Amino acid sequence: MTDVTFVKDKHIQYVIEQDSHRSFEYWLSEHLRMNGLYWGITTLATINSLDALPKAEVIDFILSCWDDKSGGFGSFPKHDSHILSTLSALQVLRIYDNELTMISSEKRTKLVKFIKELQLPDGSFQGDRFGEVDTRFVYTAISALSLLDELTKEIADPAVDFIMKCRNFDGSFGMVPGAESHAAQVFVCVGTLAITDNLHLINQDIKLASWLSERQVLPSGGFNGRPEKLPDVCYSWWVLSSLAILNKKHWVDLEKLEGFILSAQDLKEGGISDRPDNATDIYHTCFGITGLSLIDWKKYNFKEIDPIYCMPVEVTKNFKKWKNLSS
Amino acid sequence: MQHNVKRVNISAELKKLKLEKDQLKIKRYQELTAKLFDLRDNNTYTQDAFNETTTLLLMNPEFYTVWNYRREILSNIYKPVGANVDDYAQVLNDELQLVLQQLKKFPKCYWIWNHRRWCLFELVALHRVNWMYEFAVVSKLLELDQRNFHGWQYRRFIVENIEKESVAKDPSHEKVILLKIKLDEFDYTTTKVQSDFSNFSAWHNRGNLIPKIYKLVHEIEVPAEFKERVKLFDNPYDILIHELDMIKTGIYMSPEDTSIWSYYNWLLTDDFFTKAYSKEEYLKVLHNQLEVISEVNELEKEDNGQDNIWCLKSIIFTKTLINKQQRGEVLTDEIKSYLKILIKIDPLRKGKYEDQLRGVVGIV
Ligand SMILES: [Zn+2]
Repeated sequence: MTDVTFVKDKHIQYVIEQDSHRSFEYWLSEHLRMNGLYWGITTLATINSLDALPKAEVIDFILSCWDDKSGGFGSFPKHDSHILSTLSALQVLRIYDNELTMISSEKRTKLVKFIKELQLPDGSFQGDRFGEVDTRFVYTAISALSLLDELTKEIADPAVDFIMKCRNFDGSFGMVPGAESHAAQVFVCVGTLAITDNLHLINQDIKLASWLSERQVLPSGGFNGRPEKLPDVCYSWWVLSSLAILNKKHWVDLEKLEGFILSAQDLKEGGISDRPDNATDIYHTCFGITGLSLIDWKKYNFKEIDPIYCMPVEVTKNFKKWKNLSS
Repeated sequence: MQHNVKRVNISAELKKLKLEKDQLKIKRYQELTAKLFDLRDNNTYTQDAFNETTTLLLMNPEFYTVWNYRREILSNIYKPVGANVDDYAQVLNDELQLVLQQLKKFPKCYWIWNHRRWCLFELVALHRVNWMYEFAVVSKLLELDQRNFHGWQYRRFIVENIEKESVAKDPSHEKVILLKIKLDEFDYTTTKVQSDFSNFSAWHNRGNLIPKIYKLVHEIEVPAEFKERVKLFDNPYDILIHELDMIKTGIYMSPEDTSIWSYYNWLLTDDFFTKAYSKEEYLKVLHNQLEVISEVNELEKEDNGQDNIWCLKSIIFTKTLINKQQRGEVLTDEIKSYLKILIKIDPLRKGKYEDQLRGVVGIV
């Protein structure tokens, strides 16, 4: 057993204070604020402490990031829409309100249009109108449409074709066709296949699950993102969620991983870092804690996390996922 | 998102001091941000506004909205009908210089790489792009970090565009041109893996290039100047033997290296190789490999008193391929006994080996 405890209260305080240390670096990270908010809210929701942040203020902030010109959410007021901040905004809003009542039907129509128009002829998605293509954006777009209950086969099928072109000879996935395998890209590809009911495409052999299980390294017990790289807490999420989707969580040593995540906590100030004794941030805090939820949510009295959406199951169980075409 | 930054817990006192010291910087940053947003909202596309985006982006290269605005300014000033093409090309080349300086400081910033691509395609539209220069740039960046993800991806992207451009210039020699470029890339991976066997980024590229080069070699009359270099690509069997020979050194030197084994698995299972020669030849290769790995494993056993995890995994893998060829029975007593050893010496992945022992999943 691991001898480090989980310092829940410190982490709650850590999330709350994210917004109060307004150093120069804080302002430099405005472009990540919406993602940061999602990481913070997901952390709190997972440890049953969503109330620690004022709901009305959070929702107001998100709505203030609406970019009416393009019809998506930016990462901060007046920032341009991007698919990454748009998904984060939708995730937080849906954690608060399953019906998404704060999004008017006019906005919803614009959102769907914004996301769909990012899809390219080969099925891939660009992050915004400036053309960067990456399997991350495919997942982000598919997940966002799914959250809006607006996913259709016409969108999903070509996206899945693109994802499968990104599979490599090691069984794993990269950011575009021909790109080297990387654990974070595995999550977005497997996640897309899971949302679109296409897991059978990768379930014929054990290559992918084997590759994922090889990410766990000694002596730390943490996961790395590629062969011969250092372990890092965020891969606890990218790798374990993928294994969970493939029903192969038991192919790694969960107790050792748990120990690694706990050892990367800052016991004094709260928060979790990439590796023990490194600087903490909200990103690693979120993926450390969601990782712990995947390992044993009951033991920690956490909420169970959905490995496909990285949101509490309590929320995702209401997803219709596909657009109801009969209505 | 912070990686590789040491944790320093500073006192509340020091935090306050830093904050006070930051105030001026913050004020300047916020004023500049507000000013730029105003300019943008008023559709201002001037050289002054452009210069302001430079200042802000040097402070914060992650500010994607400002990169977007910067591109809009460029498009509005330099793209209208009648605008001087030379001027725009000059400005875009200056952009590439600025971006390069920033990339050296922030090699993992997606937005900077993204802006570089955008500039290049603007230059393509002007017929002024210099892909060979880009190629030199990325080669240098990869020297600094052998496994930078963005760097390798960028290299493939540049090579792809060099291919397109070269073929467009001389379409009748398309395949010869492609062959030459791919052979150069193949040689590059040879250099990279020979200097570091665990550079999987290079193995990955190599594995992708081999079938493509093979296909080209057999589609054209190979010019005399390449004859020597393409000899290896006569048939998949020769390639296989050559590659296995190459990783042999790596196996002896560091059998823990997962990069090599991943490549090994590919060599022995991909249709490109397995469909290209007879069952007898295949079995001979497998038996030879089994001998090599068993020998390394014995050496490891002498040194460490136990099987080497990766050797044992690969023995299981290779034996299973042999069994499949010979009888079809896969989960033999021998394989089972190896799996049981793995459960002991590689306990992290115990669950996998147990599934394999119970026959719930396959061995390869
Ligand atoms: Zn990380």
